[in-house]
Amino acid sequence: MAWIGRRAGALLGVAALMMATAACGGGDTGNDDPNAKVTLSYAVWDKNQVPAMQQLATAFTAENPNITIDVQLTPWETYWTKMKAAATGGAAPDVFWMNGPNYQLYATNGVLAPLDEKIAADKVDLSSYPQALIDLYTVEGKHYGLPKDFDTVGLWYNKELFDAAGVGYPDATWTWDTFKQAAAKLTDKSKGQYAIGANLSSAQEYQYNTIFQAGGSVISADGKKAGYADPATIEGLKFWTDLIKDGYSPDLKTMTDTVPLNLFESGKTAMYYGGSWNVAEFTANEYTKTRVAAAPLPKGVKSATVIHGLVNVVSAKSAHPDAAWKFVKFLGGRTAAEQLGKSGVIPAYNGTQAGWAAAHPELNLQAAFLDQVPNAVAYPISRNTAAWQELETTYLTPAWNQQKDVAAAATELAKAMDESLAKE
Amino acid sequence: MRRSRVLVHVLLALGALGMVAPFIWQFLTSLKTLHHATQVPPTLAPDWRWQNYAQIFDLIPFGQQFLNTVLMTGARAIGQVLFCSMAAYAFARLRFPGRTFIFGIFLSVLMVPPQLFIIPQYEIIARLGWLNSLPALIVPGLFSAFGTFLLRQFFLGLPVELDEAARLDGANPLRIWWSIMLPLARPGLVALGILTTIWSWNDFFWPLVVNNDPEKMTLSAGLASLQGQFMTDYPVLMAGSLLASLPVIAVFVVMQRQFVQGIAFTGTKG
Repeated sequence: MAWIGRRAGALLGVAALMMATAACGGGDTGNDDPNAKVTLSYAVWDKNQVPAMQQLATAFTAENPNITIDVQLTPWETYWTKMKAAATGGAAPDVFWMNGPNYQLYATNGVLAPLDEKIAADKVDLSSYPQALIDLYTVEGKHYGLPKDFDTVGLWYNKELFDAAGVGYPDATWTWDTFKQAAAKLTDKSKGQYAIGANLSSAQEYQYNTIFQAGGSVISADGKKAGYADPATIEGLKFWTDLIKDGYSPDLKTMTDTVPLNLFESGKTAMYYGGSWNVAEFTANEYTKTRVAAAPLPKGVKSATVIHGLVNVVSAKSAHPDAAWKFVKFLGGRTAAEQLGKSGVIPAYNGTQAGWAAAHPELNLQAAFLDQVPNAVAYPISRNTAAWQELETTYLTPAWNQQKDVAAAATELAKAMDESLAKE
Repeated sequence: MRRSRVLVHVLLALGALGMVAPFIWQFLTSLKTLHHATQVPPTLAPDWRWQNYAQIFDLIPFGQQFLNTVLMTGARAIGQVLFCSMAAYAFARLRFPGRTFIFGIFLSVLMVPPQLFIIPQYEIIARLGWLNSLPALIVPGLFSAFGTFLLRQFFLGLPVELDEAARLDGANPLRIWWSIMLPLARPGLVALGILTTIWSWNDFFWPLVVNNDPEKMTLSAGLASLQGQFMTDYPVLMAGSLLASLPVIAVFVVMQRQFVQGIAFTGTKG
């Protein structure tokens, strides 16, 4: 039921955005008086970052006394539905957070203001951000946002369970083979303990990483063809289905009832493929606080981790495009990044990330997440990412359930995804 | 005879326990630490963290959101009873050209999933300049096709002779609606009022979409903002939800009989 609802919602959203494009003809040319009092709305979705956003807003107003910022929080679950309603109604916030999967949809439907002229005029240096992140947010050669933060995926592990099993902690030397040998030792079914939960619900944390490590791809560089028929990609999927087959991971049904995150937080799995964003959760939870640390992902044919991040974007219909750009530029700058780093997310501005890792030296964040950036591969997206992400779940579930051969499932997925991409 | 009665009571008690269990679970969770709330296998024992309740008031403007919810719910319930009964009376008793046709169009609204109205409604409210305000919460909920349909059926069941007698005595339609129909339709009006109250109190999506300022939000939307993207403090969220549902529970206890009758009458709980 929820699934049907989500799907209908997505279709509705796409239709709505197309209406929005049709409705908006010429863009507004903003207010000419640079000293007029202006209030900008700034929409964000993470409650935990609101205090940091308020601080940045205050700092910005201190530099630009005529511009005040109204930070508006919409919870993640409903952020995009609300954004679609607002964008269609011509009332999108002046500045807002944007993520990869939604970016091209909004950018190519005229909801976002192109920033290239302003980037050039104000000499903003895009090489100040990780290249993979800039690639993620370049559509048809244009830029519609400046990076705010990024995240990579690492291997979280429970030191207590590793000690009990007599296995050395994971480090940068780990390969898929080391990982599997350790997995065997860390599984103890008599205690209901598994090495890891091989879930299918979050490709970003799971199979995308191993696909890239195996040398495969999810989608071609031009965003027109699926990569799932590639034998290397299939190897990346097999990494996970083998874990279930060998009994090192609970089966999919168990993980539907109890998500791997909760299993890990209860000491039922020894390892967890998770993002840098899990720092907040693991340091707040009384159990994990003293027991977990992170390491780089085990290496396959090569080292790889999925990088994703957010950009701050300006609404194409903002009544104050110049003020909005000024704010986005401020948010993308070094000063803002340094402040942001203290709030628990990795700032996108190169050279400001060390502070984030230093906040929790015991977790080993520098090696696990930051040192991996040169190996990072951008989160795969296209114009209508949601459409084929749904296909991934549909076609791969039988393979994860051990009902179908992985190669056969992946080949069928490739075909269905190609058809979906052809319609974009 | 005796044994079967015991059996019936045991069965009923089990059923009651099953119904109350989620609330008990909610209460226990609201007093746990984050770790114990998400632990596998779950534990029942609470940690008696009453500070979870205090925290709610620091995190969201609970009092203001409570007031907004009361105002929205009250205004919608009164508005629906008033407007739906007017429209229902017209459809049930007045003769005018195209009555059946218009009523058909009216009913067709019931066939459309309510999510489809969100974007057009948002646009209307935006153009009225009402975004982020109390009227935005109230006005779109003042009318309801379902309420009109419900009350029309109710009016159709009342004897026409009463209208005719009143009309012979010189009463105009407004007078008949007010003095004759409304007093007779009391059970229907109460049922509609109760349904609207429950529905409005729980209404989540529209308040969330249309208002941005925490001071202008309802409790349902305010509580949702306690959910982070990657992390949610479930005990605190449970504490807030429990506080938010207390008024509805209190209203139910006081008006239990009307509730049950109302729901039995309409055959739905909204």
